[in-house]
Amino acid sequence: MSIFTPTNQIRLTNVAIVRMKRAGKRFEIACYKNKVMSWRNGAEKDLDEVLQTHTVFTNVSKGQVAKKEDCVAAFQTDNLTDICKQILAKGELQVSDKERHAQLEQMFRDIATIVVEKCVNPETKRPYTVNLIERAMKDVHYSVKANKSTKQQALEVIRLLKESMQIERAHMRLRLRIPIKDGKRLKEKLKPLIKVMESEEFAEDLDVVCLIDPGCFREIDELIRHETKGKASLEVLSLKEVEEGDEKLE
Amino acid sequence: MGHTNLANIVDLQKNTANIRNICIVAHVDHGKTTLADSLIASNGIISNRLAGKLRYMDSREDEQIRGITMKSSSISLHFNTDNQEYLINMIDSPGHVDFSSEVSTAVRVCDGAVVVVDVVEGVCPQTQAVLRQAWLENISPVLVINKIDRLIIELKLTPFEAYIHLQKILEQVNAVTGSLFTSKVLEERAEMDVTPDPSSDSKTSGQIYDWSAGLEETDDSHLYFAPEQGNVVFGSAIDGWGFRIEQFVQMYSEKVGIKAEVLLKTLWGDYYLNTKAKKIMKGAQSKGKKPLFVQLVLENIWSLYEAVVVRSCQLLQQKSALGDKEKINKIVNSLGLSILPRDSRHTDPRVHLNAICTQWLPISQAVLSMVCHKLPSPLDITEERVEKLMCVRSRRFDSLPAQTQVLKQAFLECKSDETAPVIVFICKMFAVDPKGIPQNKPRPLTQEEIAQRREQARKRLAEKLANQGQQSGENAEISATNSRGGSTRDIQVPSQMEQAGLNVYQQESEQRDHFIAFARVYSGTIRRGQKLFVLGPKYDPSEALAKLPENYSPDDEVLIPHLSCCTVEDLYLLMGKELEEVQEVPVGNVLGIGGLEDHVLKSATLSTSPLCPPFTPLNVEATPIVRVAVEPKHPSEMPQLVRGMKLLNQADPCVEVLVQETGEHVLITAGEVHLQRCLDDLRERFAKIEISSSAPIVPFRETIIRPPKVDMVNEDMGTQQKVAVIHQKKEDQSKYPEGVSVDSDGLVTLNTPNKLSTISVRAMPLPESVTQLLEENSDLIRAMELFNLSVKEGREAQEINLTTLEAIKTFKQKLEENFVGRKWRNAVNQISSFGPRRYGPNILLNGLKNYDRPSVWQCLDKNSRDSGAYRDFDNSIISGFQLATLSGPICEEPLMGVCFILEKWDMSNKVRQFVQSSTEEQASKPEVQQEITAKENSLTDLKPILEITKQQNGRTESSQTPAKSSDDGKYNSEMVLTDCYGPFSGQLIATMKEACRFAFQAKPQRLMAAMYTCEIMATAEVLGRVYAVLSKRAGRVLQEEMKEGTEMFIIKAVLPVAESFGFADEIRKRTSGQASPQLVFSHWEVIPSDPYWVPTTEEEYLHFGEKADTVNQAHKYMNTVRKRKGLYVEEKIVEHAEKQRTLSKNK
Repeated sequence: MSIFTPTNQIRLTNVAIVRMKRAGKRFEIACYKNKVMSWRNGAEKDLDEVLQTHTVFTNVSKGQVAKKEDCVAAFQTDNLTDICKQILAKGELQVSDKERHAQLEQMFRDIATIVVEKCVNPETKRPYTVNLIERAMKDVHYSVKANKSTKQQALEVIRLLKESMQIERAHMRLRLRIPIKDGKRLKEKLKPLIKVMESEEFAEDLDVVCLIDPGCFREIDELIRHETKGKASLEVLSLKEVEEGDEKLE
Repeated sequence: MGHTNLANIVDLQKNTANIRNICIVAHVDHGKTTLADSLIASNGIISNRLAGKLRYMDSREDEQIRGITMKSSSISLHFNTDNQEYLINMIDSPGHVDFSSEVSTAVRVCDGAVVVVDVVEGVCPQTQAVLRQAWLENISPVLVINKIDRLIIELKLTPFEAYIHLQKILEQVNAVTGSLFTSKVLEERAEMDVTPDPSSDSKTSGQIYDWSAGLEETDDSHLYFAPEQGNVVFGSAIDGWGFRIEQFVQMYSEKVGIKAEVLLKTLWGDYYLNTKAKKIMKGAQSKGKKPLFVQLVLENIWSLYEAVVVRSCQLLQQKSALGDKEKINKIVNSLGLSILPRDSRHTDPRVHLNAICTQWLPISQAVLSMVCHKLPSPLDITEERVEKLMCVRSRRFDSLPAQTQVLKQAFLECKSDETAPVIVFICKMFAVDPKGIPQNKPRPLTQEEIAQRREQARKRLAEKLANQGQQSGENAEISATNSRGGSTRDIQVPSQMEQAGLNVYQQESEQRDHFIAFARVYSGTIRRGQKLFVLGPKYDPSEALAKLPENYSPDDEVLIPHLSCCTVEDLYLLMGKELEEVQEVPVGNVLGIGGLEDHVLKSATLSTSPLCPPFTPLNVEATPIVRVAVEPKHPSEMPQLVRGMKLLNQADPCVEVLVQETGEHVLITAGEVHLQRCLDDLRERFAKIEISSSAPIVPFRETIIRPPKVDMVNEDMGTQQKVAVIHQKKEDQSKYPEGVSVDSDGLVTLNTPNKLSTISVRAMPLPESVTQLLEENSDLIRAMELFNLSVKEGREAQEINLTTLEAIKTFKQKLEENFVGRKWRNAVNQISSFGPRRYGPNILLNGLKNYDRPSVWQCLDKNSRDSGAYRDFDNSIISGFQLATLSGPICEEPLMGVCFILEKWDMSNKVRQFVQSSTEEQASKPEVQQEITAKENSLTDLKPILEITKQQNGRTESSQTPAKSSDDGKYNSEMVLTDCYGPFSGQLIATMKEACRFAFQAKPQRLMAAMYTCEIMATAEVLGRVYAVLSKRAGRVLQEEMKEGTEMFIIKAVLPVAESFGFADEIRKRTSGQASPQLVFSHWEVIPSDPYWVPTTEEEYLHFGEKADTVNQAHKYMNTVRKRKGLYVEEKIVEHAEKQRTLSKNK
């Protein structure tokens, strides 16, 4: 029995292990760190830059190589490179620090971009810049959750940012046409949902152009559908109400 | 000369003939401010010893720290000569290129310019620039050759060498004026082909140009600087001495016994003194004799320096400074000066020297007397200059209204009496510290004021007592009767509130920066409380003439663009950073006007007559080119930033601020130093918040092109064999997800998620001319779109006016002309939308044979309006197209120049049934029915067969029920269409968008970069470096030509906006300021390289290697944009697997 001493201790450095269970057996391959994710999303195209060796192991750290018959039983092939590719694509691995960092950073940017796209400065009706939003997100100490969608998180961020700065969802401009008999009744119900009433005409129909918060769209849509049984129409005039063009400050 | 007091100056202001308005201009660091210091010292405002060190005119902190002047500021000086008292309004101007706008403002209000040239450095780029500006404004210059001490102490030249050097400098300066003159003459000749007045005296012109016709006939001798004419001062501002040769002539004519006139002519030039014959002879150089100037002037100065500075330095090292004292004393005595023992005992010999020199040859005397004698007074304003001021070059003076032309007389007369119209030009606004305003300054109280205050205090006390009494009484009352007490309190409370409000207001006004207009009176007398018209730069007097009644006074209210009225509130005398309040300012003076911040933005004209034309805009040499985006450190401080930027814009003539569509606040400045100053100003003065600045966001466009015929190494594509690429298979499969079928021709077919509809779209590049047409006519398209929308809603559309209609017609015609070729046949009539935002440079064509969609051109002829009807969900298709064009697949930037053709659009029976059922009731629209292709059936065997059939079963059930009860049914069928994938219209939008995107991707994609055209003026010697900078930044030179009459080249180039950050600065640095670019946005240009390109052929491998990441500019741009937006960037986290740091830190 060997004694565990510093001299005979072999450390696996620069190795990331990708594991996979198939046919009741465990298969492992030895890869380089920070490379597996790049391979999976297509950035790395050279297999030799990903794999340390084309051998398939049952336990990398002990150096136990998988038996050939096990491989064939599990993967229906004895081509080790093909098996490695399969394991690479579907196996489980521990995400390394740099990979995680890169991923979080990208998500952070993505969230900021979504916020910028959805929001405006209510005073000027102009969007904020991504940089500014990123700084604001850091100011409120927002931490990105890797397992939540960026869109969901962006909505959360907007809510948080509202407390510290002037920011609002960009309004949506809608045109509603409601038959006259439902008009009055519906108008009361719509009122709390509408931010700004731009124009209102009572002719044969109630014709309303208004700005709403995009979060209320579904609610309004449903309300109108149900209440008028489809007789009313709803049209989106613009998805995002922002100032256009450059403006000289004077 | 003692301290000049205010009353004295006010008196002097009235004597117009003795006013001189001058500005000091030069290259940076040639000693303008130092010279100004010596002049100020002569008025006793600062001490003689501090002159040159204090830099009185540099009142800003950063000016003092950096040692450069950043703004022009004015001071009024008093000067006595020939028993005449003069008032000199001197303006010190900055020399740095970035602030040349300040020079233009200074030059505008002056009649003369003092050009300072460093004798060692000679004529520098800015010297040329300021001479040009003085020339353009028609003001007369005089020359000061400065820093002659450097020739003695640093360069250690002999007097004779120094003389040669001085001659050279003078020649250089005259060459510049000469070239300005020639270019003007040539221009005039070209313009009207009339030779200028011939003149006999062309002594000096002959030696410079003997080659071009017309030039030698024009007299230009008065333009040049010549010591014998008395318009050159030699001197050293730091040591406080300076002279004109007149001074030495006076000195020597008695001593040597030569007539003063003769000596004056010969002292400067190739003459020498023949001591034996006691005669002045010509040809000193050829005979190897000392010229007169060396013998009589320079040698004296040299010996003084020798004695005081050079020798004493040497002696200081030998620790005995005694031997020299005698010699110095001898010189001092022979000059008849008396030096204070304090100065002569000073250890620094420069102080000693300074003391001697300022007494012997005071520079202020030399410069100011030259100014008084050689420069014109406001009375001498020339007709030519007046005309230039009153109307822009492109307009002829005669074209102004007659009444306006009469005003010219007022300019020329320059009268200050009541009858003369008041004309004041404001050339800039500047902000001053509220503490600097005289009203806010603490000053000793007069006796009356003290009495008044005492009275007030007493009153207050009495009130207080009374109040107390009342209140106590009140309290008693309240206890007795509640109602009355309440009412008295009501009265009291508002008065308190009022007071609080007043306090707040006062505080606010104290914090707010005061803007003072820097102005000059050209006619009449401006008084406090006077009502004047404020004429903006774009004001047109003829307009006013038409609208205004006779004898219109500023009190009436008529709305005319760019015209407003104001009451003059405060008038100031400008004394550096000090301001002195005055009651009135007569003609010809420079002054500050307070309280105009709401009326004047940057420059304006004030007048009692609305007929006065606004002054021509300033000849600004530097246009703002350095763009940065600024934002507050804390997002909540946005309003402060916006306010601050507005103030900055007002305070600086050469700044532009704007908000871009992306929400960025962009600051455009003249240069890097200017930018620094603006940011400092924003931080500390105007916004008072922390600010960060960065490179502004650069927009891109995405487009497609026709498949290229050659690859990156110019080989024919077809014949090349592709090398087996390691990663090819990965690419191909990732490009299109399942469910998308793309044929070889780029036709993309896609189903909606619920498989009820199929869309086929093809993308084509638009001809370039069409894209351009669409760009130019976006307004027309918008008008059309508005019209179509209202027609679609069935409302009676508002009529488009005839001119627009005509414009639309020609637009359509032009489009038809530009759509050439078979594939574009009838394309114009098939257009169903423009995008993005319904007016962009992309087109959606309706290629459906069986869908007769109403044309977008229906506003043109009204009969065709009934030809077709919109199909259901047409709106969704259009919306999908709009979304697709708004953000493309390369990096989510808008598309440009892409045409999408909708070739197939099928909807299943179910949808149609539903639609029918809902329209049955209304039964109004003639529904254009559409056959269903077999495609729909084949859909079902695609993927989750089971599910679909289930769903369809469900659907058929529910969609059959509505037929029974129509009212309920509609609601139900609506529900059908909103299945698990959301409403059908939404699905269609998404599908259309996706289809467009894939169709786009099926073609060779390219990025388009915004391009600047860039015009660069450069001299021949720096041409090479300009080219180097341009090519480094991926610029392309379009043309290069020499400017006639000068040695300047004009280069026209295009440069991607993305590469322009820091471009101006780099080009200035590399050419040491000899070339300055002007950038203007011009067009969009396709970047030739494919952003996704990787080398595939053998040759490409050879050329670029496997990765080829260095060459692909488009790829670089794409990745930066993607990174900024947080999109996916195809980038490895680590480049080389083996080269990672493998050990963690604690092992």
